[in-house]
Amino acid sequence: MLMTWIIRIGGLSVIVAVFGIFLFILSQIFPLFQRATVTAEMETAVVVDAAKVKALGVDEWSKMPFLYEGGNELRFIDLAHDEKIITEKLNLPEGANPSALNYYAASHRLVFGTKSGQVGWIQISYANQGLGDQVRVLGSAKVSDMYPIGLPDAEIEKVAYGDSGSSKLFAAVQNQNGAHKVLAFPIEQKKSLMGAGKITKGDETDLTAQISGKPEHLLVPQMGDGLLIADDSGTVHYFFLNDGKLEKRQEFKPFGDTKSLVITSMNFVFGDVSIIFTNATGESRMFSLMIPEGGDKRIYVQTKSFPALTHGVDFFCASQRNKSFLVGGGDFASLRHATTENVRWEQKLPFQAAAATVDGKFKHILFLGTDGKLRLYNLNDPHPEAGWKAFFGKVSYEGANKPKYEWQSTGSDESEPKLSLVPLIFGTLKGTLWAMIFSVPVALLAAVYAAQFLHPDVKRIVKPAMEIMASLPSVVLGFLAALWLAPILETRVVSFFLVCIGVPASAMLAGIIWARLPVRSRSRLKQGREWLVFLPLMFIVAIVMWQLGPLLESLVCVVTDPVTGKQTADFRLWWPQVTGSGFDQRNSLVVGFMMGFAVIPVLFTIAEDAISNVPSSIIAASHALGASRWQTVRRVVLPVASAGIFSALMIGLGRAVGETMIVVMATGNTPIMEWNLFNGMRTLAANIAVELPEAPPGSTHYRTLFLGAMMLFTLTFILNTAAEVLRTRLREKFKMS
Amino acid sequence: MAPLFKAKSAPPRGESFVWLTAMGLAVGVTMVAGLLLLIFTHGISVFWPSRVTEFELKDGQGRIAGEITRTQMKADGATELQLHVGNKDAYGLGYRFVAQSAIISESMPEDIMVAERIEYGNAIFHPVLLVMKQGGTLVATAPEFENKLRLLVEEAKQRHKSIEKIEKSEIGKINGKMSALDLDLRILDRDEKLDTAARETKKQSIKESRAALQKQYETLAAQAKELSAQLKDNTLHYRLSSGEERTQAIGDIVKVYYPNRLSFTDRLGLFFKNIAAFLSQDPREANTEGGIFPAIFGTFVMTLMMSVLVTPFGVIAAIYLREYARQGFIVRAVRISVNNLAGVPSIVFGVFGLGFFVYFVGSEIDKHFFSNSLPTPTFGTGGIFWASLTLALLTLPVIIVATEEALVAVPRGIREAALAAGASKWQMIQRVVLPSAMPGILTGVVLAMARGAGEVAPLMLVGVVKLAPSLPLDTLAPFVHLDRKFMHLGFHIFDLGFQSPDSDAAKPMVFATALLLIVLVVLMNLTAILLRNHLRKKYAIGTF
Repeated sequence: MLMTWIIRIGGLSVIVAVFGIFLFILSQIFPLFQRATVTAEMETAVVVDAAKVKALGVDEWSKMPFLYEGGNELRFIDLAHDEKIITEKLNLPEGANPSALNYYAASHRLVFGTKSGQVGWIQISYANQGLGDQVRVLGSAKVSDMYPIGLPDAEIEKVAYGDSGSSKLFAAVQNQNGAHKVLAFPIEQKKSLMGAGKITKGDETDLTAQISGKPEHLLVPQMGDGLLIADDSGTVHYFFLNDGKLEKRQEFKPFGDTKSLVITSMNFVFGDVSIIFTNATGESRMFSLMIPEGGDKRIYVQTKSFPALTHGVDFFCASQRNKSFLVGGGDFASLRHATTENVRWEQKLPFQAAAATVDGKFKHILFLGTDGKLRLYNLNDPHPEAGWKAFFGKVSYEGANKPKYEWQSTGSDESEPKLSLVPLIFGTLKGTLWAMIFSVPVALLAAVYAAQFLHPDVKRIVKPAMEIMASLPSVVLGFLAALWLAPILETRVVSFFLVCIGVPASAMLAGIIWARLPVRSRSRLKQGREWLVFLPLMFIVAIVMWQLGPLLESLVCVVTDPVTGKQTADFRLWWPQVTGSGFDQRNSLVVGFMMGFAVIPVLFTIAEDAISNVPSSIIAASHALGASRWQTVRRVVLPVASAGIFSALMIGLGRAVGETMIVVMATGNTPIMEWNLFNGMRTLAANIAVELPEAPPGSTHYRTLFLGAMMLFTLTFILNTAAEVLRTRLREKFKMS
Repeated sequence: MAPLFKAKSAPPRGESFVWLTAMGLAVGVTMVAGLLLLIFTHGISVFWPSRVTEFELKDGQGRIAGEITRTQMKADGATELQLHVGNKDAYGLGYRFVAQSAIISESMPEDIMVAERIEYGNAIFHPVLLVMKQGGTLVATAPEFENKLRLLVEEAKQRHKSIEKIEKSEIGKINGKMSALDLDLRILDRDEKLDTAARETKKQSIKESRAALQKQYETLAAQAKELSAQLKDNTLHYRLSSGEERTQAIGDIVKVYYPNRLSFTDRLGLFFKNIAAFLSQDPREANTEGGIFPAIFGTFVMTLMMSVLVTPFGVIAAIYLREYARQGFIVRAVRISVNNLAGVPSIVFGVFGLGFFVYFVGSEIDKHFFSNSLPTPTFGTGGIFWASLTLALLTLPVIIVATEEALVAVPRGIREAALAAGASKWQMIQRVVLPSAMPGILTGVVLAMARGAGEVAPLMLVGVVKLAPSLPLDTLAPFVHLDRKFMHLGFHIFDLGFQSPDSDAAKPMVFATALLLIVLVVLMNLTAILLRNHLRKKYAIGTF
């Protein structure tokens, strides 16, 4: 009794464990499809005068926000320690009175312009002590050098600054007696042997004449290599810093096709390549820098549009971790993702927000209500760049001039991960297709012959040999493909195809001649020995064809060098010239051929079983009716065994789909989408093998690879189940007959 | 089916298609045989000591000696020889192509010598002089030169062994103790219950024993250093075919022979010695030289561990499915699903193994049992146990299917006889069904082992490495190191064939490893097939 229970429990738990694999992988990919969650964490008791606050910022742990009202002091609020207010004296020079402010959260730089025509910035610094939850954050502020701009004693209305280290650019709008002048100057730092050299102000440029209306918005990317000015007519002027000079490169109207032309907000998303524009009706569009088709310069082109913001735009904050941005107005806030055009989270707030910011870790949102209270919200969005669209849709990535499917999971911090699984699925199908094209004819023909014509004694050896082949380690096949086959096939493509045509042709020809021989000479050869007779013939044909290859190549595949006029006969050059697609040494042909070794034994074994199982009574009946042996096979055996053969095909397909090592080793693993036989691909399985060891657990990349594994799992499971069901049906059918 | 009567009728229809199917089989068989033959010849020839040919080249390129490894036709019809010229320290590359047309003359000088070295691969040269520390030199033409050289090489080999013994086992033990003490120190630092004085005294005693160990370590290290210095005592002066004169410390030579003087039996002897060295030595020179013993051992331990893990579970699940579960739609569905798991790509199991075993279970274990060595993971990273578990899951369907088949094949008659004799269901299964199903279950186990031994893709994710510093089983407690990373034959092939910087130098090694792996897998499969046939015969009689 005890054993019965042990076995029951053991058996059941093994089965549960097996299905647990599926559930576990599912649980790993589930978070990819979740939206962001935002929950209120705290509300300060401290009340500030929200109307006076001109800048709001926070450290990356959201422990010590700062508020600036434009005076000579800056206030930090220590949220972790009883909301203590720490006032930091700024020591602004006498008479410096900031009139324009612009806070750059990524560099913690509060750029300002004064009423007296000077620009500069306040550097906010955060230092942390301790680890983990015990982090104690300290804030400090320091004023930079200040530079005069335009006329002295004329008020600066708007200011922007970009600083990439090597290139620094200041831009400002100055009210010169009612005229709104747009001025810009670079800051030059002479490099010397003694370290950082002297900082000098570069030549000031007055851009006012080059724009038509009143300047409303200024943007300088962090690279400090350009400047965007939006005027009150809704036109954006893009200037590019070339050799120390600002030259106008582009003029465009983001909302030129709508009724509401005027731009109400204009901000960069992380990376400073894309800009989100919003107009008065709340319409929201994204423009990205790119070289358009046929163009030669990088200009801004619309790539995306977002749901309208009917509440207006009072605050905008780009994440410093990814391409998300928080935007909103009044009591409405929305978190969006630039790459996927997704709204990650959107909510009506229980208060009116005057300002908002996202911390550097993308973990909190800090709102400043119009009632003067600071409200901290917890933001949980570990995978903002994921989603159906990112995985399976065409996406226009920054810098690309049209939407496309692309897989590029790693890159610099500021580049967006390109997570389209489509090229990988395509690669998987491509590899599978070429493998099947090569292996199906060989395996099925061999199976028909082995089951119907081959002598049983020989079959007793051939069949187990094939079964052993099925278990050959694929890493061996992969290394043979890469180190042995690829270099051979590289120079002998034409020969290879000639052999592929020549051998079957010679077999058919041999059959025709054989059939015309007198019966007496035919009956000398025992049935089921044809293949032995054919073997030497095959070798002769193959060798002849192999040698003929270069000859044919020299006749057909002639390429003329356009410069020297020299003619060379080389398939590797000829193919790209004729088809326009490339030729790689490690290509699909190599993979297809080698994968054939892995697939043929599987296909052969199952198909042979299916054909052998056709009851001999119906075969005998067919012969009795006068059908020849081929007629019997073609009209009787194959139709009856078709379901079994089909199931063999599906199992072979399943094996090819999941094959990893051959593909990893014998293709270039480039995720391209071309059916071209002579270049490589990247399959789902190979992609996992290559990238998963490096993917940090829990990251979007990691989970996306799990998604790939899930697709492989489901696909092969469906294929195998269908095959199994078909086979069971077939078996039952024969049972009855 | 021969025709029943002779008729002068038209030739049988579709004969050409019959021949086409014959071609299918011919191609299939040729491919299989060709592949095995290719690997066999390439793999075996690695060990065969081939002759060294010396060439005189045109255009002042001088002379060069090497083993001819390949002759190939270039696109323009010219032939080209690939030579293994060795002497990587002198030439930079171990392989070189020589155009047939550039050769003036070729010869096989008797005095040319091949030395296998610990570093820089083989050297191929004309020996000149042996300089010994105890004074005295010996010219290469002297009759006793060869024996003396061999003697010195043998001596150096013994010295290497004693150095290895000191470094690996004795210093290894001390290192183990020292890191245990370091861990104790860290635990003391974290222990808040202790007061400062007690902590300090404990710390002091630990530090003292650590200092004693350090002293032991230093003496041993000095010993090893002295032995290493002795390796440089004797030197061999030689001349390359190019004319360059070089010297080589005898201590760095593994083996010397005159390739052009060997008789066939000598060659055969050397051939088997080479195979033995390949199987028993550690790899050298970024795995491209030496042996593959750690990879064989890793594969063996991993496969064994996997079988131990998978067999009981697989058998129990199969017994449940076949003997206990009510046969209905659900059991049928479960059976189909289990069967189909065998067709799920192995990489998916690797993904599961990494995500579940390594990152989930492993890091939990670390948190609870190895928190002192965190953040360095103990089980939270790939290791042999996780690899075995992953492969156990992968091969579970193989065992379940094979066991079920074996259970079905047990004739109804003997089951009923057992029940009729008063046995309970479990007694019947235990005493009657399982023994007669045993060959079938064993077949499954062997098949599973063959599959497990050949898999690489999942292992890449859960703990296989190109070079493991230590074996998963050794003489240091606790003897079985479940958390250690390990080497594997299949991964060795992948790494050498795909990621080696010098693929020409790696090729012989890859082919030899591939041959070994294939031989192992084929042998296991053959065993399984023989077992199965044996089983069939047994029941063919048993059903009477």
